Amino acid sequence: MSVRIHEMNPLPAALHEQELAGYEAAYRNHYQAWAEVLARNVEAIRRGSYSLHWMETGEARWGKRAKPSSRGMTYADINRIRGYGDLPEQATWFNFAPRGAVRDRYRDDMPVIGDYTVTDKNELWAENVITLYEEAKARKWNATRDIPWDEVEALPEDLEKATAQLCTFLTEVEFVAGDFPAKWLYRIPQDFLEVKSFLATQLMDEARHQEVFRKRALSCGGLLHAAPGFEWALAAILEAPTHTMGTFLLNVLGEGLVLSIFRSGEMIAKTHVDKEIFRRCLQDEARHVSYGVMELKSYIAGHPQREAAIEELHRFCDVGEQVILTAFTEPALIEPLAVLLGGGLKYIDQGMEGIRHVWTMFINEYLQRCECAGFDRRTRCTIPLEFPWGAAA
Amino acid sequence: MSALAETTAALAFPSREYFAALAGLMNANRARQEQLGYIDCTAVFSVTEADDDGATRHFRITFEEFSAIAVDEVTAEEATAADFALSGSLATWRTMLESIAAGAGRPALEQTLNYLSHLGTPLKLVAADPLKSDLYFRYNQSLQEFFNASSALATRFDG
Ligand SMILES: [Fe+2]
Ligand SMILES: [Fe+2]
Repeated sequence: MSVRIHEMNPLPAALHEQELAGYEAAYRNHYQAWAEVLARNVEAIRRGSYSLHWMETGEARWGKRAKPSSRGMTYADINRIRGYGDLPEQATWFNFAPRGAVRDRYRDDMPVIGDYTVTDKNELWAENVITLYEEAKARKWNATRDIPWDEVEALPEDLEKATAQLCTFLTEVEFVAGDFPAKWLYRIPQDFLEVKSFLATQLMDEARHQEVFRKRALSCGGLLHAAPGFEWALAAILEAPTHTMGTFLLNVLGEGLVLSIFRSGEMIAKTHVDKEIFRRCLQDEARHVSYGVMELKSYIAGHPQREAAIEELHRFCDVGEQVILTAFTEPALIEPLAVLLGGGLKYIDQGMEGIRHVWTMFINEYLQRCECAGFDRRTRCTIPLEFPWGAAA
Repeated sequence: MSALAETTAALAFPSREYFAALAGLMNANRARQEQLGYIDCTAVFSVTEADDDGATRHFRITFEEFSAIAVDEVTAEEATAADFALSGSLATWRTMLESIAAGAGRPALEQTLNYLSHLGTPLKLVAADPLKSDLYFRYNQSLQEFFNASSALATRFDG
């Protein structure tokens, strides 16, 4: 049987032609160092010749005995060892060679990862970051097993829909709260390993939050409406120009707001299941807020051009606060909250009074957190200090 | 009422002995604390209108790692040195503890620590700065379970 050429299926195009070609060109043509290393290694292996250079300790910080503290061996414990705990003010190692290892003599043969762009310690360090890392590991919980899911019970329709809508909002929010640290985690060089470790726990926390709210929604009804107001607020966080600015917007303002919502959620929960969910989540969120406040404090305190840095932050906040406000004014957030606070759709007006109270409390807490970090936003805050519900009526 | 409560003389609330008993229960249940994780803070629980004269009493619990390592009744001035204080009337604390007892260790929905403190009344959270008040949130489940353990105690309210 013959087949005409025009009836044949075309050969599949290369799936990732451009990307693969670029990678091949880089490693076959552009980079020479790895090929030289490989040739040297192969030659030594063929000769059956040992190097044993890795046993030389002349340049090493060798012979140390890190002592665990009562809770085990923490980063704080090993950082007491001279030469291991000294974080550079400015990172100069842009590969994977660990801080404290013998690495200087190999520098010229090692790759440089151009994506490691957060090089200033004061763009990421926080005094409490090691404590928060240990705490995050110790206080982790499991959204599959630690919530009494078998006690989930259906609520009256208005309360169930309000709960599901709140869960939809929170599921949406938790994604960016994970994507933001993920984006920057990859930009941070290895010398700041403690911060990278903490951000990894934040990622895990946010995965768990996304998981628990999705499960809660689907356990009784399902997800309801995503909202443009949420999306713009989240995009503004993800696209913040620097790590400190984004951390401010996410951890201090955004997660401060989410912490208030979790606390309100625990208060207005109509079942023990929901209370447990919110209580567990608010603990994690308070850790993220604490990192944000201390990171901001460290940034401002350590900045060589302090006044200019503060002014730049104000300029960023003038936009950031307003974009975050698009989420906090979304009917898809404040209305379900008001229904839950009031106790039903019939009582939504009373619920709005509750929101008025929570709003003022939240803004005050936000301004106090800024102040605690050395950033006086009180006279510059663009978010109304009082909930303007019905102000124009 | 639990078997323990039946066999133990009732403890007066508020008293140092009462908070020491709660600390003892927490420390006896280390496996649960290890599940919940570290709790590192100094908390003061203040009871206003604690007697007929309207006195306020302050109880300071020092939590470290998985344990309550110290329990003291302190002065108002000493109380301010704690990371945070949770303050409410005897009637508020009593209603909460009775709810926990009635629920065999689980308070009614409107009797959790966060419910009572979220709006600043009837329990009020006081801290020198937001980082300190965030400790109350960071350890909220542990603090809730610290009080939930009171269902194992026979409680007397003398105020
Ligand atoms: Fe979260
Ligand atoms: Fe978070």
